[in-house]
Amino acid sequence: MAEPAIRIQHLTKDFPVGISGKKLRAVDGLDLEVRDNEIFGLLGPNGSGKSTTIKIVLGLLEPSAGECMIYGRPSREVEARRSVGFLPEAPYFYRYLSGRELVRYYARLCGVEKAGLDTAVDSVIDLVGMGEAAHRRVGTYSKGMLQRIGLAQAIIHDPQLVILDEPTAGVDPLGSAAIAEIVRELKSRGKTVLLSSHLLAQIEGLCDRVAILHRGKLVREGRVSEFVSEKAADSFVVEGLEPDGHGAVRAAIEAGGGRLLRVEKPRLSLDAFFLKEVQLRESEHEAKSSKKEEAP
Amino acid sequence: MNCLSPGRIGLIAGNTFLEAVRQKFFNSLLLIAIALVASSTFFQQFDFGTSELKFIADFGFGALFFFGSILAITATTQLFFNEIENRTALTMLAKPVHKLDFLAGKLLGVQLLMLAFVLLLSFLLAAILYWRESVLMGQVSPEVFSEGRIIRYGDIFIFGLLQWLKFGLLGAMTLFVASFSNTNLYTIIVSFCILVVCQLQYIARDAYGDMEQGLGRLLVQGLGLIFPNFQLFNLGDQLLFTSKEAIPAATVFQISFYALIYILAFLLLAQLSFRRREI
Repeated sequence: MAEPAIRIQHLTKDFPVGISGKKLRAVDGLDLEVRDNEIFGLLGPNGSGKSTTIKIVLGLLEPSAGECMIYGRPSREVEARRSVGFLPEAPYFYRYLSGRELVRYYARLCGVEKAGLDTAVDSVIDLVGMGEAAHRRVGTYSKGMLQRIGLAQAIIHDPQLVILDEPTAGVDPLGSAAIAEIVRELKSRGKTVLLSSHLLAQIEGLCDRVAILHRGKLVREGRVSEFVSEKAADSFVVEGLEPDGHGAVRAAIEAGGGRLLRVEKPRLSLDAFFLKEVQLRESEHEAKSSKKEEAP
Repeated sequence: MNCLSPGRIGLIAGNTFLEAVRQKFFNSLLLIAIALVASSTFFQQFDFGTSELKFIADFGFGALFFFGSILAITATTQLFFNEIENRTALTMLAKPVHKLDFLAGKLLGVQLLMLAFVLLLSFLLAAILYWRESVLMGQVSPEVFSEGRIIRYGDIFIFGLLQWLKFGLLGAMTLFVASFSNTNLYTIIVSFCILVVCQLQYIARDAYGDMEQGLGRLLVQGLGLIFPNFQLFNLGDQLLFTSKEAIPAATVFQISFYALIYILAFLLLAQLSFRRREI
């Protein structure tokens, strides 16, 4: 699509405080563009204006000044929300409905045609990996399952833009990894994803670009790699080098006009280590279970 | 898509009704029904003759109005604030759903609950009256029943219909208060105050009839227009007994139209106020 997924121009939002006429500025002259088919991270401390910005994008709040467009349509128009799916932070759903009934309810609210309703519901439930628990009441779901069924309701009408507000808050690393995988899958299907999160390690590995907000203002915007890589330095990961060889490497670097800044052991992130260990145990457990089932 | 969607309103209404069932609002209906049956057997202890039927009818109509008003205000408030406090409204309104669809769906859902309430009490009242009338036909002077039964049973349901519309109006006003209120308690208290004002509105109408032209008269007239006159719906005294003339169908239509206009007006007011609300 030629139009950016979201275009925010000079956006300002003031909230009245008390009856004195004072105003609290939550968003202050924000300019932002989210391109089509990218994963965009909205970062910032509490009170930086992330949620207010998301609510304006969703047409749930009217801006005090400026404008917000979704694929070229003003976000305040209800019709603009046809191309948007939303998962709120810590979602709460109707506890008495089953997962499948819940997704079906939101599908009908979004105007999904009756003819393709069952197929669409089954397809998103499979995508979020809730096939086995879809018949259970939402009230019995764990936090991770709630987030996943929340994701299913957000994408049931096949929106081009998916907005996720803290999608992994309170979810264990396994659940977070599963959600991250779904986000990548959405991108591979051509969707645009805007997500806000405090879990920076996850954003780093997931987002194409990020924007950092502070007190309602845009502080930085750009590609993740631009922000976190040391542009003036290179790193070599070497295997099997004897301690005596360090001096030779240092001399070679200096001979090339460089300077060795530090020698350190490459580290695996704790997230990655945890996932590797748990997934290993999971596969061992599954193998044992299938052996037991096969035994006469 | 730029106007109201009956399909979406129906969906939201159905879900609201389901939530009402889950919240055990129906238990209160059962309790009221049991109380009504118990009270009708209590009246048998007195030898009222055919006046007993009038007693039971008045008691039943009174119960329908009293408990119905409580149920309409509390159910509307509770079912609206559940969506706001649990933030399910946020998920719903982030979809291509108009705020008016949401409000109309909530109101219709409550009206489904009120329909169940009105039908239950009307059928129960009709059954009790039929039973007592049958017993009295064998006990009192045959001249009283010389032309057959003295109760027009269809009138119970006409009264029920008018009360149901009044509950709809009360629900729409409650929804309007809830649209700008922050708490359940404030909404319930203000709505009950409005109920009292609407119920006693005829006093204001009498007053401005006697007033001379001026600001006071204009003010009272204005208030009389803003708050609907609930006395219009209280036709219980003119209904039911064959000794009195039946209410013309045109009157029932006029009152229904009056209720629908006010429901629409308060729903639109609620939408105007809800539009600015942060969810």
